[in-house]
This record gives sequence, structure tokens and C-alpha cells, in this order.
Amino acid sequence: MSASDPLQAGLGRALGEVWGEAPAIENLQIASAGARRRNVLFDAVRGAERVPLVATIIPNPAMQVMDVEVEVAGLRLAQEQGMPVPHVHGVWADRSYVGGPFFISERVEGETIPRQVLRLVEAEPSLGPKLATQCGHALGRLHAADPAKAHPGLNRPPAGRSIFDHALEGAEALIRELLQPSPSFRLGLRWLERHTPSRPDRLAVLHGDFRNGNLIVGPDGLRAALDWEVGHVGDPMEDLGWLCMRMWRFRNDDLEVGGFGSRRELRAGYEAGGGSWRADAFHWWKTLSTLRWGLGLAGQAKAHLDGSVPSIIMAASGRRVAELEYDLLMLLQGPAPAGETGS
Amino acid sequence: MQDRPTAAELLETIADLLEGDLLAATQGPLRHPVRVAGNLCRILEREARLGPSQEHREQQLLRELLQRADGEPTELNAALDQALAAGDDATLEPRALPVLVEIVRGKLAIAKPGHDAYRGEPADDDVPGAGTR
Repeated sequence: MSASDPLQAGLGRALGEVWGEAPAIENLQIASAGARRRNVLFDAVRGAERVPLVATIIPNPAMQVMDVEVEVAGLRLAQEQGMPVPHVHGVWADRSYVGGPFFISERVEGETIPRQVLRLVEAEPSLGPKLATQCGHALGRLHAADPAKAHPGLNRPPAGRSIFDHALEGAEALIRELLQPSPSFRLGLRWLERHTPSRPDRLAVLHGDFRNGNLIVGPDGLRAALDWEVGHVGDPMEDLGWLCMRMWRFRNDDLEVGGFGSRRELRAGYEAGGGSWRADAFHWWKTLSTLRWGLGLAGQAKAHLDGSVPSIIMAASGRRVAELEYDLLMLLQGPAPAGETGS
Repeated sequence: MQDRPTAAELLETIADLLEGDLLAATQGPLRHPVRVAGNLCRILEREARLGPSQEHREQQLLRELLQRADGEPTELNAALDQALAAGDDATLEPRALPVLVEIVRGKLAIAKPGHDAYRGEPADDDVPGAGTR
């Protein structure tokens, strides 16, 4: 992987605009090269100062989920709220710098791979509860932001409609597209329809994918939340339910928060950060998240089979659907009183 | 009838190759697909051994639930899905839940043994359920 000169020149030119003088770009390294996003690590050197940075580049704007300006606005809003996120030095929609829209942010050191995060927690048992509390606090801070202050391009639920009905319609549409019917998913949808929770006092700006895997963690705890491209406005408990899905526990099933902490710790942190916890909505969104993840896996298998994304990874997703069916059924019968799932 | 090795035995052999020598000789972005291919062979090996009895059990359970004398799993699953969507029978959902748990556990014995060791969420004070309708 050669440190390509145009990339180096483009990054130097971009930083020169925001810093007043163009730094030297050194130690360029492609950290990940997905079809949708490329992460490039590099150092910007100004005299004696060496700043470790990351460029997040969208090589093909047609495949971007969210405009980089909207994503960066979310990051900056979170930072203003006091949530730990990488500081963004600048964002460029113009493709002429590095071949696609991009932004440059601070490089935060630490673990992001879930198993490595859990290894840190094993090595230092007090870290798990601390991390869960910090996750709660971070989300509490984010959710305290006024959604009116968020970027106008951020996804918002349709006005004048129940956010729960809107979410359920999305899930039902995916159920209709299944290659083979799943009575388990249907049962989950039915349960969700009949158990819509209490309404939030107000909607909030959500991260949308806050979970073990999108967190940078060090021995001192939570350092930053990454991957803001599915942020949106919604019920704040959606972020908490998503975080606590079984899928993000990586076999530590007893530790509901990412395999490292408990709900009690998460909630304490959330309320200390300014959030308002609703137990019924927490359970509802966790259940819907599980259903959505299962439908997403089935959709991946379909994308392989219809030839749109041929890949053994996508094919294998089809055989993971049963895992989510099981997790969903456990949530339906879980701690709820007997007879709950009926009538 | 084919000669030995059986399908299950061959799939196990292919999985051993993929997860052993082939993975060791593979570098970079191909490692993940090779690992996935090995795991898919393990799934198919279990399917070759357990699939027929699992499908028979699924068919039996669905026939009982739907009170049908016949029908294949594909058709029975579609019928159950439709009946749940229609919601005409208030007793169907509570009766379907344990049946689906058993069917899905049968699928997991092939697709991911051990996944069903989990039995739901901790029942601490904050867990909702009651009074949420």
C-alpha cells in the first residue's frame, strides 16, 4: 500500500486551509478500505509538533448513508454537549482534495475491537462498571441537546405521527420482503405493536449505532464514540436499547451493556448525564432492535442470492437469522409476567 | 447410495482443510472469508447429520399448532406467519411462542450450537413488562 502522493498533497492542502499553514503529512497508513468508507491514519507535522489524525473518506458519494457535513455536525454537537468524541478539524464535501468527501479528526488511541475491549475489562474488573456508567453518561449528555439545534439534514421522524408506529411500519416492510416467512419475527412484530411504550417527554438527537465496536476504550475508560453516520432524531431510549442488544455482548450474556456492564450502572450514568430513563421503552427498543438486526441479516442473504452483493459473508448471514429469532423470542418471554405475550 | 465418506464426513474434512492448512497459508483480506467458509462447512456437516430429524420435528410441531393433518415445513411456516399477521385467534400467540422456541432451538443445534444457553434478560427491578400496553 503506497502512501500515494495525491492523497498526501490533498490532506496537506485541506489542513492548510483550517490551520493557516499547510503541515507536512507523514506516516500515511490506510487503516480500513471498505467500499463505503476509507479510514486513513497520518501525522500532520508543523515544526516540532506532530499531530496524529484520521481522515474518513467516502470514495463513492453515491454509497454514503449521510452527507459528511451532517455527520460532522452531529459529532460537533456531541462534543459541545460534553460527550467524548474525536475532535473534528475540518470537513470537505469537495471531491478534488482526496477523490471524495471527507473529514479529518483527532486520532484517539485505544481499543475498538469488541474482544479487545472485553480483554481490557477482564484485566481490570473495575473498568466494566465504570465503562457502563460512562456510556450512560455520554448518552445522557447527547440526549440533553435540543434537536432544534441539530443540522437540518439530520433524519427526523415524520411530524404528527407516532414514532413507534413509524418504526413498526419500517420493520413490517422488511418482513414483507423476506425470502421465506419467519413466524418468530412476525410474533415479535405483533408483540411490539401491542406493547408500544410510554412516549418520551421530547425527542432527542441519537447516535444511532452506539455499541461495543463503535467505542474507543482505554484502561481509563471511555475515550470516544465513533461512527456517527446513522445518527437521527428519535426516542432517546432507542440508543439505550440498541446498546444493550445481546449481539453486542460477545458471549458475556450476563452483562447486558456490551458484555462489560449492567443496566443499573448504565442507568445511573444516564440519569447523572441528564437523561430520563423509561423502562418500558428501553425493553421495547431493545426488542425492536433485535428484530431489525435479524431482518438485516435476512436482507444480506437475499442480496447475495439475488446477485446484488454476491459474497460468502452475506450468504453466511442467512444462517445467522436463527440466532436473532431466538434472542427475540427470549425477549418476548423473558422477564415479563406469565401471559404477557398472549392476549 | 453413495460410498463412504458420507456427506457429513466430507464436509468435516473440507472444514478441517479450510480452518487448518488453508487458513494458515492465507494472508490479508481473504482470511475472514476462508474462516467463514470453514464455519459454513461445519454448519452443513451438522445439517447433513441432524437436518432430517430437525425438519421432521418442525413439521410435527407446526402441524399440531395449526391443527393440520399434513403440510410441509415451508407451507406450514407460511400459514403460521399469515395466521399471526391476521390475529384472528387470540390464543394463537401464547400457544405459538413455546413451539417457536423449540423449533428455533432445533435450527440452532445446526446453525450455532450453544447460542440457546441464554434464557432471556435479568429480572431486576427495572425490567418492564407489566402495564406497558
